[in-house]
Amino acid sequence: MGAHSLLPYAEDRETAGFFEAAAQDRLVYRKCDDCSHALHPPTDHCHHCGGWNTAWHDAKGTGRLHSWTTVTHQIHPDFPAPYTLVVVELDDAPEVRLMGRLDGAPELAPDMPMQVWFERLGDGPVLPQWKPAPVN
Amino acid sequence: MIDDDMAFAGRDKAAVVGIGQTAFSRDSGRSVLSLATEASLKAIADAGLTVDDIDGIVRCEQDTVRPYSLAAALGAKNLAYWADTGPGGVAPCMMMGLAMGAVMTGQAKAVLAFRSLNGRSETRLGGGGQRMEAELVGGFGSYDEFYLPYGLQTAGQTFALMARRHMLEYGTTPEQLGAVAMTCREHAQATPHAMMNGRPMSMDDYLASRMISTPLRLFDYCLESDGACAVVITSAERARDLPKPPVLIRAVAGGAPRDQRPGMMFPVVTREDMTELGGRQAGTELWKRAGVGPGEMDIAQIYDCFTISVILQLEAYGFCAKGEGGPMAASGALKRGGSLPINTGGGHLSEGYVHGMNHIVQAVRQLRGEADMQVEGAELCLCTGGPLPVGSSVVFRKAA
Repeated sequence: MGAHSLLPYAEDRETAGFFEAAAQDRLVYRKCDDCSHALHPPTDHCHHCGGWNTAWHDAKGTGRLHSWTTVTHQIHPDFPAPYTLVVVELDDAPEVRLMGRLDGAPELAPDMPMQVWFERLGDGPVLPQWKPAPVN
Repeated sequence: MIDDDMAFAGRDKAAVVGIGQTAFSRDSGRSVLSLATEASLKAIADAGLTVDDIDGIVRCEQDTVRPYSLAAALGAKNLAYWADTGPGGVAPCMMMGLAMGAVMTGQAKAVLAFRSLNGRSETRLGGGGQRMEAELVGGFGSYDEFYLPYGLQTAGQTFALMARRHMLEYGTTPEQLGAVAMTCREHAQATPHAMMNGRPMSMDDYLASRMISTPLRLFDYCLESDGACAVVITSAERARDLPKPPVLIRAVAGGAPRDQRPGMMFPVVTREDMTELGGRQAGTELWKRAGVGPGEMDIAQIYDCFTISVILQLEAYGFCAKGEGGPMAASGALKRGGSLPINTGGGHLSEGYVHGMNHIVQAVRQLRGEADMQVEGAELCLCTGGPLPVGSSVVFRKAA
């Protein structure tokens, strides 16, 4: 897939932990340690129980395909069409859905198992990405 | 806790008394200030007022024309109130609420609401970057860092992900999306100023249009337009003395979905149900405030950035059950002669894209009885905005 010019700002005070973990090949999500609710997009404050006791937790790195779209009309010069955007629901916390990008227009099906991998954007930040899980 | 029965004091208190628009085109060749000035002058003249009667101006926060710049360009000397709302297509319905509030509280006597954009020739929304330099995106509460670097970059791609879910869960079909596009196109054929006037479309034409972001095709997308629209709002009492039949703002309501996530448009994909819109919350409140329900609407101007947006809003505002928006569109109910003719000037899909403002103008034309494709006897019209990340809505009523 190669490096591209749209790099995530990885130093946001509420989301930096996600990218710090990704740089170490770890997938994390924000979770409230009081009520156990996962929070995505991540926030310091838990809107479920009203607490502030939230922290990053490791995810297994597996999920299920929730939705997808194959982009056939190119928008950005660094994102040649076709490519397919996937929305993946984490097995550990279905309230967390993350994006991924696949090359081309693969055959996909709802709820298919997905596996995380880590895309290094040159010397810059690392993006957790998703691909269909290998069939056992 | 706020008293749940606290009455909505705004019912029928303010009215739209003037409307104006420029031509809609692919390249206006003019500045957005020039377009806004033309539309505003027409709206003020239509209201039977002069520029010095305008003491309030409200606008969309994405507009590059500022209220005081417009006042200066108009030569309006009495500006005393201004406000921004948004985002984007949410703005026009919310502007009606701002104007009503300003008029009712005496902060302004006559408020101009406008939207002006060179949405095709200068600033293409969702046009993506021509930027080749490495660039950091997101952060600072936008949460775009979770989306843009992956290649999720436009509203169309976001609605495509929502459309896919709607298809998976409810069996919505491309032909049902096509029915929405064809409805708007048909209405544009009766509307001379519509950009798609003279270009009728069959289902085969729709299905043959190129895929942009599956399952959405070119004709699932609204137009990109250059143009401006403006309306003038004053008190219902004062409206009675003005030349045009007043169109009352019966009720206004915005709404955020129960599962709202922080950020702008993209985090909709993380909502537990990504086919649910804030329009459901807006609608619930709107019908209560208006004292009428969806079944009483004679017509509706439904924000149609994409065909799927219309289907989702038909469900959200209670015109049909969840999942029934596609069959409702395919039934012909939305066309001229149907139970709920929508987007009676062609809408964003076929009239022009003035970010919700042409829907307001069209609603007023219909209730005055001066629309090109007039729906006879229309007295109540829903107008919606949004539909991401939040919804907005107005019921307009023909004054008795």
